[in-house]
Amino acid sequence: MAARLELGDIQGTVLRGRPMPYFGSYFVFSVDDGAQARTLLRRLLPRITSAADWEKPSENAWINVTFSHAGLRKLGMPREILDAFPVEFRQGMAARKEYLGDVGANDPAHWDMPHGGTGLDIGILVMAGSPELREQKVEIGQEAVRGLGGVRTIHRMDVGLPPTMREHFGFVDGISRPYIDGQGGTPLPGQPVAKAGEFVLGYENELGAIASGPGPDALWRNGTYVSLRKVHQDVAAFRRFLRDNADSPEAQELLAAQMMGRWRSGCPMALSPERDDPELARDPMRNNDFGFLKEDPDGHRTPAGCHIRRVNPRDALDGSVVDMRLHRILRRGSTYGPVLPEGVTEDDGIDRGLMLAVINANPGRQFEFVQSQWVNDGDFISQGERSDPIAGRRDRSDEFAVPRPRKRYRGLAAFSQTRGGEHLFLPGLGGIRWMVENLG
Amino acid sequence: MSTAKIDPEKAALTQPCTNQPDGPGRRIGKRGEIHVIGTVLPGGAKLFRERVGRFQAEAGYWESRIGTVHDFRVVLFDNDTRILVSAVYDGDFVPYLADVVSNAGAWFDMLMPGVWDGYTHAADPATVKLIEGQAYTADAFYAANPDLSIKDIAKMRRLARAVNEMLDAAN
Repeated sequence: MAARLELGDIQGTVLRGRPMPYFGSYFVFSVDDGAQARTLLRRLLPRITSAADWEKPSENAWINVTFSHAGLRKLGMPREILDAFPVEFRQGMAARKEYLGDVGANDPAHWDMPHGGTGLDIGILVMAGSPELREQKVEIGQEAVRGLGGVRTIHRMDVGLPPTMREHFGFVDGISRPYIDGQGGTPLPGQPVAKAGEFVLGYENELGAIASGPGPDALWRNGTYVSLRKVHQDVAAFRRFLRDNADSPEAQELLAAQMMGRWRSGCPMALSPERDDPELARDPMRNNDFGFLKEDPDGHRTPAGCHIRRVNPRDALDGSVVDMRLHRILRRGSTYGPVLPEGVTEDDGIDRGLMLAVINANPGRQFEFVQSQWVNDGDFISQGERSDPIAGRRDRSDEFAVPRPRKRYRGLAAFSQTRGGEHLFLPGLGGIRWMVENLG
Repeated sequence: MSTAKIDPEKAALTQPCTNQPDGPGRRIGKRGEIHVIGTVLPGGAKLFRERVGRFQAEAGYWESRIGTVHDFRVVLFDNDTRILVSAVYDGDFVPYLADVVSNAGAWFDMLMPGVWDGYTHAADPATVKLIEGQAYTADAFYAANPDLSIKDIAKMRRLARAVNEMLDAAN
């Protein structure tokens, strides 16, 4: 029986996808005065979009609110509750850099988006179907903070889909995601059904337990965590790698597809290994309907080390130590920065990339597991230190292997570099109300 | 001669040994180690000895399900008042705890309830906390071939067999 999710209490971004095209902004607030921050929350509370309201066509713009551990402390959260949050959230993402592979070029010393240790206390996400609607919502946020000198806006980053409708490396993004039990509708072919407690606190998870948080139920029920990552994409280096390792435009497309596991259209190599099939890519009834265990255990169609077999191995690890159900993530990706013009292979010095908002009720066994064990390591597929050819760290290995025809590529650059990140608490509306009424 | 002085000749083959990145245990290359020491409940030793035969008989089945453990042992000591569980395995420890419990929980459940103080059943969320809370890190650790995982070794065995068959056929 499907879980009965309290949609009116869950912040919309947990369950609902962004519009297409989308125009969003991430705002970072730093709190100097807890009482004023609580006033901000009191003002914002009626304007926050729940999952029940998300698809109201009249509005087509949304606002959601998140908190870092430091932010909760400054809001006046009692010490015993602060100490009972998951260790990943307590420490913050920057402190976990060694484990997450955020070393070298990815080191928090180079991050340009604030994190919990550098002023990110409250994060507000605005998402809209047009730039005008976005600015209307931004105005609501600015109105809410007016006169509150103890709450400072320290960072704003706008996101939006480029005119190409693809992320900067040229791939259609956001094709695969789990279906959350109780979210409404029906799962698509190939879409795994995940228990709601994997993504929302207060519901049964895949371990058969009720996912819970610290302190009173009213604080954490219908809340969750967002593992936020700002990822700079070195598009010029990616293009140079393709150019230098493939001798025709077709061969470059094939190599890009082998690294991703999907053609740039989104067509899965598992279903069309020889050539792109844009029609298949657009068909939601087919574009996720595949597995790896029986059809392609050795990666002859979809290389085992490619991006999509790392972030979502599907059934490939059945029979191994890994229980795939425990490591599912819900990924909300959005792009930032201008497109590097087609054909350009020298960096123009302009920052562009992805903002990843990973929704997970247990950041340790979901986002951090995927990042540390699958994206940044190769042991789980018997590939030693090799990492994700698109998104992985490069300080241990710069190799990518294709089994058929057998070829080993060397010299992969750090195509994706971390430029910011934090584990944030995304409470339900009732949780924010509890904070307003009980803290201070 | 000072006991603290390291003989450079003998230390030439030293292995870089670090702590596990996200929890207890030492790490050399891909190889990790862990020791967990718990308290034995009154009457627990008797239960343990009644059950351990079946536990031993099924070790191969359950450990192959986990697939990353090189060796594993359980010891009652201190006059049956304490229990030691130790393992040498591939990769990280804490991130895989939930998976190990999910994959091999039934095996531990045939041995530990009533023996290990605090252990109810594997699926109890308190079990992961019990293991983490009673884990100890080795002060010294050595691993042969620390960059070869169980999977790598199995692959190399398959490869060696195939090469030998090819050479046999050629002769």
